[in-house]
Amino acid sequence: MTFAAIEEWQVSAPEGAPAGALVVAPPNLDAVARVLGWASEVGRPVLPWGGGTRMGPSGGVVPEVVVLTSQLTRVVDWQPDDLTLVVEAGALVDDVEAMLAERQQSAVLAERANGSTIGGMIASGASGYRRLRYGPTRDRILETVMASGDGRVFTSGGRVVKNVTGYDIPRLACGSLGSLGIIGQVCLKLWPVPESAATLDVTVDAFDGLYRPMALLETEDGAMAYLAGTAEEVAGQAAAVGAHAQPGLQWPMPLGGDVQIELRVPSPLTSAAVTQLRNAGATEFRAQHGIGLVAAEFDSWSSERLEELRTWAEGQGGAAVVLASPQSDIDRWGQAPGSVDLQRRVKAAFDPRRIMVPGRLPGGV
Amino acid sequence: MTLAADLRLVLGADRVLDHPLDLQIYAKDAGVTPGTVAAVVFPETTQEVAAVVRIAVVHEVPIVARGAGTGLSGGAVPTRPGLVVALTRLNQIWEVDEAAHTAWVGPGVINLELSQHTTPLGLHYAPDPSSQSACTIGGNVGTNAGGPHCLAEGSTVSHILAVELVTAGGDVLLLGGAAPDPIGLDLVGVVVGSEGTMGLVTKVLVKLTENAPEVRTLLLAFPTIEAAAETVSSVVAGGIVPAALELMDRPMIEAVENFKSCGFPLDAAAVLIAEVAGHPAAVEAEAQLVADAGAAAGATEIRIAATAAERDLIWLGRKSAFGAVAYAAPDYYLHDTVVPRTRLVEAMSGIYEIGERYGISMLNVFHAGDGNLHPLVAFDAKEPGMLEKVRAAADEMVKLSIEVGGALSGEHGIGLEKRDLMGEMFSAVDLDAQARLRDAFDPIGILNPDKVLPEGSRCFDFGLVANLDPESAA
Ligand SMILES: Cc1cc2nc3c(=O)[nH]c(=O)nc-3n(C[C@H](O)[C@H](O)[C@H](O)COP(=O)(O)OP(=O)(O)OC[C@H]3O[C@@H](n4cnc5c(N)ncnc54)[C@H](O)[C@@H]3O)c2cc1C
Ligand SMILES: Cc1cc2nc3c(=O)[nH]c(=O)nc-3n(C[C@H](O)[C@H](O)[C@H](O)COP(=O)(O)OP(=O)(O)OC[C@H]3O[C@@H](n4cnc5c(N)ncnc54)[C@H](O)[C@@H]3O)c2cc1C
Repeated sequence: MTFAAIEEWQVSAPEGAPAGALVVAPPNLDAVARVLGWASEVGRPVLPWGGGTRMGPSGGVVPEVVVLTSQLTRVVDWQPDDLTLVVEAGALVDDVEAMLAERQQSAVLAERANGSTIGGMIASGASGYRRLRYGPTRDRILETVMASGDGRVFTSGGRVVKNVTGYDIPRLACGSLGSLGIIGQVCLKLWPVPESAATLDVTVDAFDGLYRPMALLETEDGAMAYLAGTAEEVAGQAAAVGAHAQPGLQWPMPLGGDVQIELRVPSPLTSAAVTQLRNAGATEFRAQHGIGLVAAEFDSWSSERLEELRTWAEGQGGAAVVLASPQSDIDRWGQAPGSVDLQRRVKAAFDPRRIMVPGRLPGGV
Repeated sequence: MTLAADLRLVLGADRVLDHPLDLQIYAKDAGVTPGTVAAVVFPETTQEVAAVVRIAVVHEVPIVARGAGTGLSGGAVPTRPGLVVALTRLNQIWEVDEAAHTAWVGPGVINLELSQHTTPLGLHYAPDPSSQSACTIGGNVGTNAGGPHCLAEGSTVSHILAVELVTAGGDVLLLGGAAPDPIGLDLVGVVVGSEGTMGLVTKVLVKLTENAPEVRTLLLAFPTIEAAAETVSSVVAGGIVPAALELMDRPMIEAVENFKSCGFPLDAAAVLIAEVAGHPAAVEAEAQLVADAGAAAGATEIRIAATAAERDLIWLGRKSAFGAVAYAAPDYYLHDTVVPRTRLVEAMSGIYEIGERYGISMLNVFHAGDGNLHPLVAFDAKEPGMLEKVRAAADEMVKLSIEVGGALSGEHGIGLEKRDLMGEMFSAVDLDAQARLRDAFDPIGILNPDKVLPEGSRCFDFGLVANLDPESAA
């Protein structure tokens, strides 16, 4: 494979891309595979690029090739009556959800996705607030078509809602952050959108009285419970907790600052995590009760603060993850899991030349 | 020293079996294919499992994890003389965290016993395979088991937060954790459903589910199987996901009624068991929606269980299905394929056609809401050529499922039974990716070899990548 074979796909760099990198926007997944095959041969580190909304700290490695999924945006097959959708990875989450909403369906991806792609959302393992009701995103990835780090296109899983045919590589791809290869196409399991929904102003104490809410959030402004179901169910639950109900699901604005840390702890410790973050000086936060995820924003960067939060979260069997930092060489994860050697071998199975975002996973994997 | 002698040094005499008569019992699971066993061990702790694995590695004997042996795909059956590691004695419920809705349990805990244990807390373990009174959590993790109530709640994998794993090298690893989105690659998701080929699971952190405040169970009778299948499709398309949607055809209804009288209508061509669960206000409306869909498709009878006893009777009928068949025929072969729910009607008629063409007696009871088909063939294996005929019909049914966009297995796993059909669904490159993943976990190929992936799946070497000719790969 020569450079000439991929040169035609070169485009100008998107905002925020590493300076000096070769940026390509291949027209299809086979072309993506050719780029990765070439990069494997010449040993150039690669960064997959979806919406570029959430690149986060890079782990210190400067990518030399940036592969955009901007040409992979087709909706391949939507089966509303089967509640499945096959879509290419570069499609925008907001566009896909808007399309699905026409038939009262949803892929239950993160709310307020602002420019995120389906592939980026899956690769970063992000779930929406509604995971409390529907489970995390990884529960809904039925099939993936990927280009591996060494440039092969392979399919895993299947387009059915229940399947144990072969190893669950779609689930492995979720949260892989591009370390195995590039996700080109996925089949997602959809959920019907309930007929009625409401957002309740409550206190955290009221959370326990609700049956299967969509989400239970707490921010610096207070607590909100999100309900959906039949009109009677929503009204009945709202009345039972005696809360003021606004119609629809009114999600808080996403955090946007340069300094963001997320605590991941067992769900009963959500309030404790909020306290930790407040004491550490968080200006804004989004706490998901019942899940154990609290993301927070700070005015300025402090390594000592990160260490303190980490010591606490890791002591609870969790983690403190850096979502955004002005310093690019920061350790995003903290203590690597005990399975780090196995993680390294799993990465090597798909990316033997170690070109895919090397060092982006915990433990420098 | 011999394998058995080494094992006895660690486990003592009575937890190692190697007498041929004892070994026979462990040469099969609930499927139809027997294997050969070198020895069976019954470790009681993680450390003992690790020690056993290290001994097997020294003796170069394949290691086959076994739960209750209710698997139907040959997953727990050793192909070469292998060491069967029975994990049934790791059966402690270590800790139930009521606030977090989780429990740490041993792999040997029986599925139903876990739910019974947590009933006083208003919690249950959601995946409920029909074999739940016998199968183990470890086996469920091994196969990523499903069950009637996995329609709304998802299969086993959605309920496993962490596992303790003894690796091929005899190391003990903790994968996953109680906190959400554990950092690093999601290896728990790989281990669940890996059929004992990635490691031996010695502890499991499961998610528990709140019992629904209100449940409605419906029994709908139909004049044709198509009408029942149509109802399933229209309920799924109609904007609700019920807790369960199970379909039974006439031969199965008859078998069940002969076995345990549950009051199922004997004149129906098919019955649909539907359950909706949740908030009382929602349950009313959803039960009505299911009833309306049934009526529109021509249901001849719609029964809504009015009492807990009526509900239990309906489920007794459903859960007695396999017992009923075992009672009526000496052998049975239970298939498991899955199709898109929009293709249910088409798939069912194809399956009946295959059954008729082979002249085999077939009964159907299945997780229709997931498109998960379970044609069950009752036969007598002593009849010459019968098993071959049953297998040939099975292959055709699997191929039919693939043709309509489905997959080889929805919940029973690939094991031995479907291993050689993997090429129907995956290309050589696809299979190679799976083989590499497996090698990352088990570089020496000692964990349940010959299962899941057909021989020759690992067909390309790292160095050859660039020269790979896409034509020959496909
Ligand atoms: C406003 C906002 C708030 C957010 N808040 C949170 C939060 O609180 N917690 C949280 O965990 N996440 C959060 N995210 C993360 C976010 O949901 C996902 O990371 C994001 O959707 C990524 O989409 P993207 O297309 O911009 O991906 P990118 O930012 O382009 O990429 C994200 C990662 O995935 C890789 N990648 C991208 N596309 C592919 C592909 N096709 N195949 C393989 N790898 C690929 C990239 O290399 C990179 O490592 C937030 C995102 C947004 C937009
Ligand atoms: C009547 C009947 C009804 C059934 N109904 C259903 C159903 O509704 N849904 C369904 O999904 N299945 C069903 N099954 C199949 C079977 O019960 C399931 O596959 C079950 O998960 C097997 O559990 P087990 O403990 O018997 O495991 P086994 O059969 O002993 O083992 C199954 C697989 O898991 C591996 N394994 C076992 N324990 C471990 C461990 N600790 N670590 C690693 N690997 C391990 C084995 O190597 C093997 O590959 C049914 C079977 C019967 C006989």
